[in-house]
Amino acid sequence: MNMVQAINSTLDMKMAADDSIILLGEDIGKDGGVFRVTDGLQGKYGQQRVIDTPLTELGIVGMAIGMAVYGLKPVPEIQFQDFIYTAMDQIINQMAKMRYRTAGKITVPLVLRTPYGGGIRGGLYHSQSGESYFVHTAGLTVVTPSNPYDAKGLLSASLDLGDPVIFLEPKKLYRFQKMEVPENDYKVEIGKARKAREGDSITIITYGSMVPTVLSAVEKNGVDADVIDLMTLSPLDIGTISTSVKKTGRVMIVHEAPRTLGMGAEISAMISERMIEYLYAPILRVTGPDTPFPYRLEDHYLPDEKRIMDAVDKLLKFR
Amino acid sequence: MGKKEVEKMTEVINEQVEKEKHIRGFGAMILSRTLDKKIITAQRQGRVGFYTPTMGQEAAQIGLSMALSKDDLLYEYYRDVPMMLHRGVPLEIVLNQVFGNRDDLAKGRQMPSHLVARDYNFMSVPSPVATNLPLAVGTAFAKVYRHEPGIVVASFGDGSSSTPDFHSAMNMAAVFNLPVLFFCENNGLAISLPVEKQTKTEIWKKAEAYGMAGFKADGNNMVEMYRVAQQAVDHVRSGKGPALLEARCFRMGPHSTSDDPSKYESDIVQDGSDRDPIVVTQNALKAMGLINDQLVDKVKNESIRIVNEKFDQQEKVPPPDPETMFQDVYGNETWIIKEERGEIL
Ligand SMILES: Cc1ncc(C[n+]2csc(CCOP(=O)(O)OP(=O)(O)O)c2C)c(N)n1
Ligand SMILES: [Mg+2]
Repeated sequence: MNMVQAINSTLDMKMAADDSIILLGEDIGKDGGVFRVTDGLQGKYGQQRVIDTPLTELGIVGMAIGMAVYGLKPVPEIQFQDFIYTAMDQIINQMAKMRYRTAGKITVPLVLRTPYGGGIRGGLYHSQSGESYFVHTAGLTVVTPSNPYDAKGLLSASLDLGDPVIFLEPKKLYRFQKMEVPENDYKVEIGKARKAREGDSITIITYGSMVPTVLSAVEKNGVDADVIDLMTLSPLDIGTISTSVKKTGRVMIVHEAPRTLGMGAEISAMISERMIEYLYAPILRVTGPDTPFPYRLEDHYLPDEKRIMDAVDKLLKFR
Repeated sequence: MGKKEVEKMTEVINEQVEKEKHIRGFGAMILSRTLDKKIITAQRQGRVGFYTPTMGQEAAQIGLSMALSKDDLLYEYYRDVPMMLHRGVPLEIVLNQVFGNRDDLAKGRQMPSHLVARDYNFMSVPSPVATNLPLAVGTAFAKVYRHEPGIVVASFGDGSSSTPDFHSAMNMAAVFNLPVLFFCENNGLAISLPVEKQTKTEIWKKAEAYGMAGFKADGNNMVEMYRVAQQAVDHVRSGKGPALLEARCFRMGPHSTSDDPSKYESDIVQDGSDRDPIVVTQNALKAMGLINDQLVDKVKNESIRIVNEKFDQQEKVPPPDPETMFQDVYGNETWIIKEERGEIL
């Protein structure tokens, strides 16, 4: 199945087993969501459990937090990550701080799902990669799968975590690939990265929509790369990163989001602080530029195989 | 001649002006409908990336536009192409935006339907709905502060009335008694959500709670729409404070070219049917003796010819230079952007 089907079937499985799970969002019920991720679920679980809300992201998220602190397990959907910003007050000041503010007396077990990133010619407001805003906020767990198998396992684990999870779905990969996904409930551990490929000469750290692009670039060009798919952006899996960096000594980070204060900045800081003596070359970043996301020139914005290979060559040649 | 006779002359002239206004409005409706159909068809053929059709909202927008003056400023939303055409925005500007080509005023940066035409007092469209509404309040303040004539219009859909932006803007406009006309184009749907599930009140009635005037109009009949819009505009222009004008209209098709309404809506108004605002308006104008069927056919044919010609012409314009992606982020380009441009291009 593809990623849309994987997420849909996981929600279905979990909802069948746990009636405290409630979905809410814009157009998620009758319409099944603009990307069809919640297709059929309202028919199956009713309007009390799959709620078509009025058009207010602030309201959706605030209401979900109110449900979560009182025994329910809501899964709010924000139709596009780009539209989440009126809800940021709720996310940063309520969702992320409730456990801390109440010394653990009140918690917020919820999973906020939202499609993010480019790849559909969505221009300025249907393409943003805002992961840094969430990662920068203490109290949030931030997750992003790059394939259907991980999507199911991560979603299942997120629903069981007991803390708020920002579940970022790379919309470019929604229907990119089909794969075997086990029927049973399984978890992909939160806070653990995955080796998308084993290699010895260079470490490429990436996540989300860039994973297939990186894999295709290194495979086509026969690069002996260790490719790490982070999957959890917060908290980062420093163990997997360290092992790989110590092996290769050459590191690059690839993401779609703009470079400045993107994930690459934090990762390279962590590596420099902890293992600079293992590095043979500076850490390089291949990212979206520090401009808004353009419509017609999308292909120039998104990091592509050529830009990835330019950085690989530069790193491998560095003496 | 005595005073009475002069007044009579003025009356005759005014009547003629009003007639011409109606004919012009109807012409814009036809042109807009033709353009809409053309873009929708072209999108299916892969010649256009995306579009939010405007069919069904022509009478509402143009009826209001007829009551506005040149000095008025508009915070339009993504379905306001009919209003833009009526206010004189050339087809080329709309088409260049839809293609996102080199001549687009915003350098092809925005998805189709997100137009700007600053020279025509259209202030540009962000996708996150209703985010323009608080800006309209600030711009109205600036207009008053600078002693400029004209009012500010902010348009939005029924769904957008649920946002915090809507409520903040309504409240502030009323508190500061500013010349803002909030124009809600209620097409009964927000993507799939019917307006009855969006809000428990009629939208125009929300005006009272904020302390401003509320108006409701039949947005399917340009003549009727114009009549009510004129009252709302007069109210705002006279300094009595903001107003909320709700126009009832239809979305005669999908939310956008990416949407399939068959899952949630069975009662889509058909092109050319009795409820189609073009047909309703046409009948009203016929009853007023302003047009006849022959004339309408002629206008339709002419609009098809013009739209086809301009469409083919603008389609040939090449995409923007990749270099343009890095422009206009700041007034003074930063070294970071300069460096990134060097790496990417
Ligand atoms: C803040 C925000 N949330 C969600 C969306 C996605 N979206 C685009 S249009 C739309 C419905 C808008 O409905 P309405 O305001 O009635 O305008 P209409 O499209 O019917 O003209 C939604 C939910 C958005 N653009 N902005
Ligand atoms: Mg609507």
